[in-house]
Amino acid sequence: MTNVLDTQGVSKKFSGIMAVHDLSISVDAGESVGLIGPNGAGKTTFFNCVLGVLRVNAGVVRLAGDDVTEMPVHARARRGIGRTFQRIELFAESTVREHLLIAERTRRRDGGLWKDLIGRGRPRADEIAKCDEVLELLGLRDVADEPIEHLSLGQGRLVEVGRALMTDPKLLLLDEPTSGLDRQETADLAITLRAVQEHRQFAILLVEHDVEFVSSFTQRSYVLDFGQLIASGPTQDVLRDPQVRAAYLGVEEISS
Amino acid sequence: MTLAATLGSDLLRALLQGTPPGTVYALIALGFVLTYKTSGVFNLAFGAQASISAAMYYKAHTDWRWPILPALIVSVFVLAPGVGLLLERLVFRHLRTASSVAKIVVTLGLSIAVPSIFELVFQFQGVAGRTPEGIVPNGAGVYYDPFGVYPFSRNELMTMAVAVTAMLGLAALFKFSALGLQMRAVVESPRMTELNGIRADRVSALSWALSSSFAGMAGVLIAPRFNTLAAPDFFNLVVVAIAAAVLGKLVSLPRALVGGFCLGWIIALLGTFLPRWSRTQTWLRPFQENLTPSVPFLVLFGVLVFWPAIRRAREASDPLSGVDPPPSSVGSGARGASRPRFSRVIGLALLVGIGVIVFIRADTSWIFLVTQAVVMSTIYLSVTVITGLAGQISLCQGTFAAIGGFTVFQLADRHGVSVLLAAVIGAVIAAAVGAVLSLPVLRLGGVWTAVATLAFAYLFDSVLVKISWICGGGTSLLQGTRVPRPVVGPWDFADDRSFLVLTVIVFIVVAFAVTQIRSGTVGRTLSAISGSEVAAESIGISPARARVTAFAVSAFIAGLGGALLSIHQRNVNYGSNFSPFAALFWLVLVVSLGARTVQGAAQAGAAFSLFDTLILRGTFMGWILRSSKRIPEIFPINPKWRFVFFGLGTIQFARHPEGLVEHGKRQMRRRVDALRKRRTGSGGSIDDASPVSTPQPSSEPSNETDTAVVPVGETTR
Ligand SMILES: Nc1ncnc2c1ncn2[C@@H]1O[C@H](COP(=O)(O)OP(=O)(O)OP(=O)(O)O)[C@@H](O)[C@H]1O
Ligand SMILES: [Mg+2]
Repeated sequence: MTNVLDTQGVSKKFSGIMAVHDLSISVDAGESVGLIGPNGAGKTTFFNCVLGVLRVNAGVVRLAGDDVTEMPVHARARRGIGRTFQRIELFAESTVREHLLIAERTRRRDGGLWKDLIGRGRPRADEIAKCDEVLELLGLRDVADEPIEHLSLGQGRLVEVGRALMTDPKLLLLDEPTSGLDRQETADLAITLRAVQEHRQFAILLVEHDVEFVSSFTQRSYVLDFGQLIASGPTQDVLRDPQVRAAYLGVEEISS
Repeated sequence: MTLAATLGSDLLRALLQGTPPGTVYALIALGFVLTYKTSGVFNLAFGAQASISAAMYYKAHTDWRWPILPALIVSVFVLAPGVGLLLERLVFRHLRTASSVAKIVVTLGLSIAVPSIFELVFQFQGVAGRTPEGIVPNGAGVYYDPFGVYPFSRNELMTMAVAVTAMLGLAALFKFSALGLQMRAVVESPRMTELNGIRADRVSALSWALSSSFAGMAGVLIAPRFNTLAAPDFFNLVVVAIAAAVLGKLVSLPRALVGGFCLGWIIALLGTFLPRWSRTQTWLRPFQENLTPSVPFLVLFGVLVFWPAIRRAREASDPLSGVDPPPSSVGSGARGASRPRFSRVIGLALLVGIGVIVFIRADTSWIFLVTQAVVMSTIYLSVTVITGLAGQISLCQGTFAAIGGFTVFQLADRHGVSVLLAAVIGAVIAAAVGAVLSLPVLRLGGVWTAVATLAFAYLFDSVLVKISWICGGGTSLLQGTRVPRPVVGPWDFADDRSFLVLTVIVFIVVAFAVTQIRSGTVGRTLSAISGSEVAAESIGISPARARVTAFAVSAFIAGLGGALLSIHQRNVNYGSNFSPFAALFWLVLVVSLGARTVQGAAQAGAAFSLFDTLILRGTFMGWILRSSKRIPEIFPINPKWRFVFFGLGTIQFARHPEGLVEHGKRQMRRRVDALRKRRTGSGGSIDDASPVSTPQPSSEPSNETDTAVVPVGETTR
C-alpha cells in the first residue's frame, strides 16, 4: 500500500449544509494531485477534515494505511501531513527563522521544561543549520531574521511552506497558495515548489483556483461541487469535462 | 404519608423562597446576555455597574434622606444608563475589533476602576452593620403568605414586581419599537448587523444603556441581602449572571431568564434539603454553611467543565466566531527587540544602587514595603507566564498563592516542617492543582478560561477556605493562621533585613527561570500557539499539553510567592491578600504595566506596594523638594486613585498588549531614533551650509536663525 492519503466516504455537515459529502480520494507517495471546485465547494473543509481540525460526521481518513480518523490534529501532523492555509497563518511577531526553528524542535521532540530550565532550550547549531538549508531552498535566506510582519504575501506563503517542510511531511496540503499573488510571484512559487518537491520527495494535494497553475503542476485532479465529487482523472481531461465547466462558470476563457 | 406531605410542603416552600432571588438573577442574566450578544463584550464589569447604582441609592436615600422614588430614579434610570452609555462610547466602541480576551481584560480593569471612581466622586464609604434598605418602606416586614408555607416579605414582593415589570418592558421594546426589533435581530444573529445595514452604533449604545439599567436595578434590589455595600460582593453578582446565562447556554434572552430562575430555585432547594443530608454526610457541612454564595460557582464550574453541550453552543453562538478575522494574539512575541546593552547596565546599576540604599538606610516600615514589593513581583511572574507567554487569562492566581500560604501554615505551624521546605511543597501542591484544573478549563479557551478560573477562585473562597485541613477552620478564626519565619543554619530570617535578601534571591531565581522558559522550547511553543493555534497544531504541537505546562508553572510560581508573602507577614491573611477580588487587582496591575516581561512584573510589584506611599502620599515629591514640609497641598492623594489609574490602564491593553511601560519605552525609542536620524541627516548639511543657520543657545533667538534651521533640515530629507 503506497497511498499516503486515502479517505473513504468523508462527510461533513454544518448546521444543515452538507459541506463535504461522501468524498473518497487517494494520493500516492510523491504524487501531485489537484483538488478543484468553485467557491464554497468544500475544499478547505475537506482539508480540515483530513488534518483533524474538523471532526468528520462520517467516513474514514487513512494516512499511509493507518486509520487516523479519531486522532487530534497534532498527532496527524506528526504522522507526516504538512499544510498551508488559505488565509495565511503565521506566528505573530516571530522571525522567519523562528517559525522553522519551532517546527524543527517540535519534530525532534527533545525539548521540555527541564531542558529549558537548565539552559538547554535555546536553538542549537545543528537545528539552525537545518533551518537554513530549507530557507536556502526556498530563497528566504536574506529575510531569515526579519519579523514576518515585514514580508510580502508571497514570502509569507513560502514561510508557511518552509514551516511545513521542517516536519518532514510525506504529504503537503496546499490551500490556494497563489491567492493574492501576482503573475510573477505565482510563477516563482511554482518553480520553487517544484524544485523543493524534487529535492524532498513528498506528495502534494493542491487546492487552487488558478487553472493554469493546477494544470501545469498536477498530473491528476478531483473536482468538487457543493461538497460532491463530480469528476476525477488526469487534470487535462478533467478540465475539459463539460460538467466541470458548467460548475466552474467563467473558467472557459482561461482554460481554452 | 406525613413524610410525603412535609416533603411536598418543603418543596413548595423552597420554590417560593427561591423565586425572588431568581427574578433578580434573571434580571442580571438578561442584561449580561444583552451586552454580550450585541457588542461581543463579556462584561465582567457588570457587577461593578450594579454596585454603583446600589451605592448611589444608598447615598441618596439613607445619607441624603431623599424619598424612595427620586433616589431610585437617580440611581437606576439616570446613573446606570449614563454609565452604560459612557462605557460604550468611550471604551468599547473603540475595541470592537479587539480580541475577546483583550476585551475581558478591559472589563476587569473597569470593575476595579468604576466603583473606586464612584466612591471618590461621591465620597462614598460602605459602613459595616448598616444594612442597605430596599425600595419599599419597612421592606423586611412580612406581607403575604399565599400557601401558608412561605411568607414573602415586602422587599421580596417588590423585587418580583419590579423585575417582572422590567422584563415585560424589555419584551415590549423588542416587539414594538424599530430599534428594539433591530436589537433583537442582532441578538439572534450578530452577523445581521453587517448584512442588513443595521446601525450598529445605536444598537450597541442602547443595549449598553439598557443592560446597565438592568444591572443597576438588580444591584438596588439585591442590596438588602448584603450587610454592607462592598464592591467585591457585587463582583460575585457577575459570576451569578454568567452562571444563569450559561445555564441558558448563552444563546438567547428567554433562556437566560429561565437560567436565572433555575439558579434561584436550585439555591433554595439545596438550602432546604442539604441540612438533612449533611446530618449524615459531614463533608457536606461546608457547602451547607456557605450555600448561597457558593452555589452559583459550583453550578458555573460544573456546567462549564462537565456539560460538553455548552462548548458546542459556544461555537454556534459566540458573536466572535466564524466570520471575524482571528483575534490578534495576546501573549505572542514575548521576545521583544533586544535593548541596547548599555541602557540595561544603567538600569541594573540603578536598581542595585537603590537596593543598597534601602538595605542600609531604610527603617522598618520601608523594609517592609520593599520586601512586599519583591514578593509581589515574584507572584506577578506567574501572571507573566500564564498571560504573557501563554496568552490565557487566569483569575485564580490568588487561589494558587493562597494554597502556597496555607500549606506553609499547615505544615510549619501545625506539623513543624521546616518553613522553606513547606513553601516549596506548597508551590508543588499549587502546581498540581493548577495542572489538574487546567485539563478541563483550558479546553474551553479564551473567555471561558477566564470565567472558569474565576468560578474556581470563588469556589475556593466560599467553600474550601472553610475546611479545617485546608485553612485551619474555626480555630484559625480565633488565632489567625500563623506562619513562622524560617531559620536556615546560621541565618535567622526573623530579621527583616535578612528576609529581604532571601526574597530578592528567590525573585532573581524565579525571574531567571522565567526568562529561560521564554527563550526555550516551552516559551517558543506557547508563543507559536498564541500566534496561531491552528498553525501550531499543524506542525505537531499539542496546545493542550503546552498550556497545562504553562498553567502548572504559573501555579507553582504563584504558590511559592504566596508562601513567601505569608511568611513575610507571619500570617496567611487570606481575606486581604488572596481573595478573588484582591487577586483581580494583581492581574489588572500586571497587564496594564506589562505582562510580557520580567521587568513588567517587577514594576507591578513596586506599584502594588510602593505607589501609595511613594507617589500618592507625596513622599517622592518631598524628596525632590528636599523637605517634607514643602509637599504641595494636594498630597496625600486618596489611595483609591491607584485602582482608578491601573484599572483604566487596562484599556490600552487592547491596543498595546505589551503594557504601559514597554509601550512607552518603544514610543520613546522610536522618537529618539527619529531624532537621531534627523540630527545626523541635517548635521552634515549644517556643516556644509553657512554657520549662521546653527542655532546658538547663548545667542539671542532671532527670527533669522529660527527660519534658517528648518529649511536646511527639510532640504536634506
Ligand atoms: N465553520 C463553518 N461553519 C459553518 N459553515 C461553514 C464553516 N466552514 C465552512 N462552511 C461552509 O461550508 C461550505 C464549504 O466551505 P469551504 O470553505 O470548505 O469552501 P471552499 O471550497 O474552500 O471555498 P473557497 O474556494 O472559497 O475557499 C461553504 O458553504 C461554507 O459556508
Ligand atoms: Mg477554501
